[in-house]
Amino acid sequence: MAESTATIDPAKHAETGSTVVRPPLVLNERTMGWISNYISSIVEARTPTWWYLAMGVTVPLMLMCFTMLAYLISTGVGVWGNNHPVGWAWDITNFVFWIGIGHAGTLISAILFLTRQKWRTSINRAAEAMTLFAVVCAGIYPALHVGRVWMVWFLAPVPNANAIWPNFRSPLLWDVFAVSTYFTVSILFWYTGLIPDLATLRDRCTSKIKKFFYGIFALGWRGGNRQWRHYEMAYLLLAGLSTPLVLSVHSVVSFDFATSVVPGWHTTIFPPYFVAGAIFGGFAMVLTLMIPAAAIWPSLKDLITPSHVDKMCKIILLTGSIVGYAYLMELFIAWYGGNPYEQAAFWNRAFGPSGWNYWVMMTCNVIAPQFFWFKWCRHNWWAVWILVQFPNVGMWFERFVIIATTLERDFLPSSWQQFHPSIVDILTFIGTFGLFMTLFLLFIRFLPMICMFEVKAVLPEADPHYGEKH
Amino acid sequence: MKKIINHPSRPERPTMWRSMEEFQNTPEFEETLQREFPAGAAVYDESGLSKRDFLKLMGASMALAGVGLTGCRRPPSFLVPLTQGVEWTVPGKFLYYATAMPTRLGAIPLIATTSDGRPTKVEGNPLHPYSNGGTDVFAQASVLDLYDPNRLKAIKREGASTDAASFDTLIGEIRQRGEGLAVLADSANSPSRDRLRMELKVAFPGMIWAEYEPLATGESTAAVVAAFGDGTSVRPNFEAADVILALDSDFLDSTEAGPSFTKAFYQRRKPEQEGRGMNRLYVVENHYTSTGGLADHRLRVRACDIGAFLAAVSVQVASLTGNSALSSAASAFPAGTTTFDEVWITECAKDLASASGRALVLVGREQPAPVQALGYALNGALGSLGTTLLGYNTGAAPKVATIEDLAAALSSNSVQTLIILGGNPVYNAPANLKFAELLAAMPTSIHLSLYEDETSKMCKWAVPAAHYLETWGDTRTLDGTHTSIQPMILPLWNGVSQLDILSQLLGRPRSEGPEIVRETFQQRVGSTGTALDLAWNEYVRTGFLAESAFPAAALSLNTGAITAGIAAYQPSPADGAEVVFLKSSSVDDGRYANNSWLQETPDFVTKLTWDNAALVSPADAAELGIKDGDMVEIVAGDTRLECAALIAPGHADKSVSISLGYGRKDVSALMQNVGFDAYPLRTVATPRFRKGVSVKATRGPKYKLARPQEHQSMEGRDLFREGTLDRFKKNPTFALNMGMDAHLPPEISIYNNPLFQPEQMAKEQWAMTVDLNVCNGCNACLVACQAENNVPVVGKDQVIRGRDMAWIRIDRYFASPESSLENPEMVAQMITCQHCENAPCETVCPVNATVHSEDGLNLMAYNRCIGTRYCANNCPWKVRRFNYFDYNQRPIDKLYFGPLAPKGMADSLKMSKNPNVTVRMRGVMEKCTFCIQRIEEAKIARTVKAGASDKSKVPVAPFKTACQQACPSEAIVFGDENNPDRLVSKLRKDPRGFTMLKYVNARPRITYLARIKNPNPAMPGADLVGNINTPDHHGESHGEAPHGAIDPHGSPAPAAHH
Repeated sequence: MAESTATIDPAKHAETGSTVVRPPLVLNERTMGWISNYISSIVEARTPTWWYLAMGVTVPLMLMCFTMLAYLISTGVGVWGNNHPVGWAWDITNFVFWIGIGHAGTLISAILFLTRQKWRTSINRAAEAMTLFAVVCAGIYPALHVGRVWMVWFLAPVPNANAIWPNFRSPLLWDVFAVSTYFTVSILFWYTGLIPDLATLRDRCTSKIKKFFYGIFALGWRGGNRQWRHYEMAYLLLAGLSTPLVLSVHSVVSFDFATSVVPGWHTTIFPPYFVAGAIFGGFAMVLTLMIPAAAIWPSLKDLITPSHVDKMCKIILLTGSIVGYAYLMELFIAWYGGNPYEQAAFWNRAFGPSGWNYWVMMTCNVIAPQFFWFKWCRHNWWAVWILVQFPNVGMWFERFVIIATTLERDFLPSSWQQFHPSIVDILTFIGTFGLFMTLFLLFIRFLPMICMFEVKAVLPEADPHYGEKH
Repeated sequence: MKKIINHPSRPERPTMWRSMEEFQNTPEFEETLQREFPAGAAVYDESGLSKRDFLKLMGASMALAGVGLTGCRRPPSFLVPLTQGVEWTVPGKFLYYATAMPTRLGAIPLIATTSDGRPTKVEGNPLHPYSNGGTDVFAQASVLDLYDPNRLKAIKREGASTDAASFDTLIGEIRQRGEGLAVLADSANSPSRDRLRMELKVAFPGMIWAEYEPLATGESTAAVVAAFGDGTSVRPNFEAADVILALDSDFLDSTEAGPSFTKAFYQRRKPEQEGRGMNRLYVVENHYTSTGGLADHRLRVRACDIGAFLAAVSVQVASLTGNSALSSAASAFPAGTTTFDEVWITECAKDLASASGRALVLVGREQPAPVQALGYALNGALGSLGTTLLGYNTGAAPKVATIEDLAAALSSNSVQTLIILGGNPVYNAPANLKFAELLAAMPTSIHLSLYEDETSKMCKWAVPAAHYLETWGDTRTLDGTHTSIQPMILPLWNGVSQLDILSQLLGRPRSEGPEIVRETFQQRVGSTGTALDLAWNEYVRTGFLAESAFPAAALSLNTGAITAGIAAYQPSPADGAEVVFLKSSSVDDGRYANNSWLQETPDFVTKLTWDNAALVSPADAAELGIKDGDMVEIVAGDTRLECAALIAPGHADKSVSISLGYGRKDVSALMQNVGFDAYPLRTVATPRFRKGVSVKATRGPKYKLARPQEHQSMEGRDLFREGTLDRFKKNPTFALNMGMDAHLPPEISIYNNPLFQPEQMAKEQWAMTVDLNVCNGCNACLVACQAENNVPVVGKDQVIRGRDMAWIRIDRYFASPESSLENPEMVAQMITCQHCENAPCETVCPVNATVHSEDGLNLMAYNRCIGTRYCANNCPWKVRRFNYFDYNQRPIDKLYFGPLAPKGMADSLKMSKNPNVTVRMRGVMEKCTFCIQRIEEAKIARTVKAGASDKSKVPVAPFKTACQQACPSEAIVFGDENNPDRLVSKLRKDPRGFTMLKYVNARPRITYLARIKNPNPAMPGADLVGNINTPDHHGESHGEAPHGAIDPHGSPAPAAHH
């Protein structure tokens, strides 16, 4: 295992120069006991004041979101700004934005797990939680953007006397299956990974109520060999199931556009471009959340090390560059394809009445991540945190540019019309951040935000050969 | 159950051990060992059931459960229908009656469709000699007026409701007083009203009878009287006209002269016609009209300069023809300061003169009488009289007073009682008469009106008028044909007709039926007894009296009177800009201001809904520094009008046009804040244009204008296609290979779609063609569709947000090969659902709510639709309309109140709905269905006709969709393209035919026929005419393709390219 080199004294290797030294995954020679104690103490400690203050902001925002949705359902989709050429606007933009964010977690927990990237252990729990909460936010939109919410069950292949089935040719139906599968597998994956740590919390509990609930959710975990054996198998299977989903969900989301005939949507590049963009945006959101967490609990920096942040920045740099390549390739193909409708679509994206969105997107997604070529930018956490805000913003604009500004101007100029968001659009979207942050705050308050047992497994002490002389 | 794999046996006492338990090797330890370190747990030994078997069984069980559940059905139950029906009606079957809608100049003959005793739709009366079965936008929308809940519903005295008895008392008093009576009526062209009027004249010798129509002032009559004498009317004969010059004359506007002008003109507009060939149209006007859009050569000239322009043309024609009478008349015309394009005038005059006897000059009806008279003189010189301009003997009509005469009488206090029959003079009388002040001083004033409008509020009495669909009446169409009006329904709100009031004034008992009309009819036909009954029945059944049109009369030009009139003509010398008063295409002179269908129908040229605006030329706008929606102030004399401006391509400079009929206040909620009232600028002397006005930009906030189409350019896309007559003759299929269509690779499908196999297709395949050469954008199809298909109205705010619900729209583009805004071409393209064979909307709907029928329709299952709007996004034509709010159920000013707003529509509006078409709810996508209710009706009739025989052998009888039926120019043709007898099957293969966006391969069922222009090569800018599309790819030869008409069976269109 590659990480085992971490157990070797770096100084010694620097002398010999024989191996590139990997930085240790856990700093300050923290012990297994410290890890359990520290991570659990975050949950067990008295609720800090800042947590209440934060909830005081996010809960009203969440309630605002629910209010706006109630208004939407009771009154009609017209409360949003959508219009006739622009049938989808902020609704599907926000859906794709949130579902994109929901990609990093599963990528970290599944793909990095299968590829044995051990550095994933200290960030996977929080990233997965973030995934779930992002998918919850995302799910609001496709479910509620429809005209008749109460008929949404038509999407389910329910046998019925009329023998009407959903249209299996429709990418939107694939979307329903893809997203619901993704959510189900992600929640199972996350929960499965939580069980041993829930048992740890249960065992440390001092209050009966807590013991009861942690006990219920720990499913009687005792840490026996048989349980570990089942656990490892289940986790591996779920990782195997999740891995194609990471790639498929956003590919399917991109099919909503790629299989259409709309110039600017009808492109084969969309699936890889969307997946890269999702990972890009997802990692940006992981860093957005993890860096403040490490600031609040300084000792977390022993677990979430500069090396972790550095690696994530590199992924952002890579995927950001892929996204930039995709943007340029779209332009090239539009020109090279010689189709005047495609050419006009891309011209309008950049220079049409909504062209400023395009340049925000370009700046945030293509230019901003290039700073991560510089090591200083990857290691100064202030710089990192500021820089990752650009992909967060830029990825929203990317989806808006693809969805709304494309629809604003398609085939027949007579139908061209600009989209203007309504106040309900804006408040609903802000509200979803309230929902997302509320769920995340609840998560860090009541659940261990770092996977204790997995981090322990990557400690040098966990190596059976620990302490042996080579 | 579990297969126990025993661990290898260990010695009693191990030599090495990891725990005391292992060392002791107790049974408990053995058990723990088995529990914690099991192996082979995947296999259950007793049944031999592997995980794989288990999954198989589970899968099969799930599948069986699915199959089994679909067998569950609710027990059937039955509804019992009424055993006693309403007399005459077959439930679900419409009854049709002939009637007519009176208009300013005549009437539109109609067939009203009634369902269970309520009229829901009107169509043109194709039997009528002055109709081709087409209608106009106002006739189509008039059904909504009938059911308008804002109508005046009770007799009001000083604003308070009162009963009919007190009104009867009032009439009694008026009769007793006998003198001081004046009547101001609108134009009804009603023989019965004329008869009663003559009787009243006898009963009340001092009575003043005045008539006033704001948009039919006396200029045109005066010109005809001057040129041809009294008792004559003239009508153009387009069939004989090869070259037409229209000066400020929108003669193709079917709301003016009825559909017959349009029909006759288009007979000669077809490029394929044999014989004398396609006509040529020159149009000179200050603002773009639909007629100007079709012109071969169009020149922008201010309305006030039309006279001088006509004089200049006349001078040229006079010298070419050597006509001295014209020469003297033209030279008498006061010289203006404006200079015109001399080449244009010379070449146009040459063209007219060379077509002597086949040329026609038309001058706008509101132009000053001497100008119109000069037009007749020019027609005389061109040999048009009796050939392209026909005269009719209308008989000398008794004189009626004008509104000026009436105003003079009112101000001299000689009138005590003023009865206003229809109209709305307080709002629309010439501003200099100050009619409101005069009316306020009247001791007794009565207004018979559909609405409680400005005039009703100023009158002491307001009486609800009966709608023309509620009353007996008669009228004359423009050709004089005696036409009947019969009620479809009893008056909804106790309305009375003009005839009722007049007859009551004569002291006759209230008529319950057609007595008054029948008496007039009897006087006309002169028969009695059974012969009268038969004639009457035929009259009411067909809607007209045969052979009752005005007789033809020879026209003899009174050149002396014309010249004298011209010499006496003193055009206002004022300089500065002019303001031109237009008839609104939506509210006419303001009378339809409460009609939401019309308010939401976009003006064809400006695409403006719910408002009017001052139209200014691009150059003037640049000079004023204004953009669309900026406020301008128009000052004429001491009258100022602040209104929103709209930049109008093709508009004359130093000229502002504004529609009349807007800016009405405090009449109904629908009329609040709708447009700007231009009547205060209009005086008796300036019915059409007022010179010497100043226009300046004000710094007020931008005014929000609601335009469903905001983009005016076609962006170089070959959506609308046109060519010149020469090009068409050289290459009739030139339109097939424009732009991208020339690059399309051969379509080779590796998938033999089973749905396209003949056995999967119905015998009938519905298709439509739209002839762009004859569509002038009159909007009749839009409103016909709205009436037929219960299309809701969304209101100005929602139109601004881009949520109009119209199923049909007319795309209007300005295009110019030179990208000039000054005088671009204007094109109109009717767009509705294309019913694509490869419909992009169908594949993307996740719930199968939009699917294809075997007869080629793209169907919408409303109650399956959940409203994802994906179909609309993927529709290249953007014809799908999403109901963003409950437009049918919520008041349009309270849409955002959701459940807090009152729900449900007015009862009377419910009656206006077509019972055969679902009223769609919110959250559902809707679009053109090709009038599926009419298709099904025709198919059912076919089945009935076939009886026991094989119905597939019986063809479906031809029928029309609502848009097709309304179209006055017969541009829309619909039918079964599989039936070679149907026109549509021929037109789908017409050489001019092309489908839009061919590269998408959606295979639309709508074929457009390219527009052909017939320019005069000698005219300036002739090379730019008919040339708005992208240039040919490698010249025409590249695209000599066999016609690629869409094959409904999916066989690939033949490849045309190398």
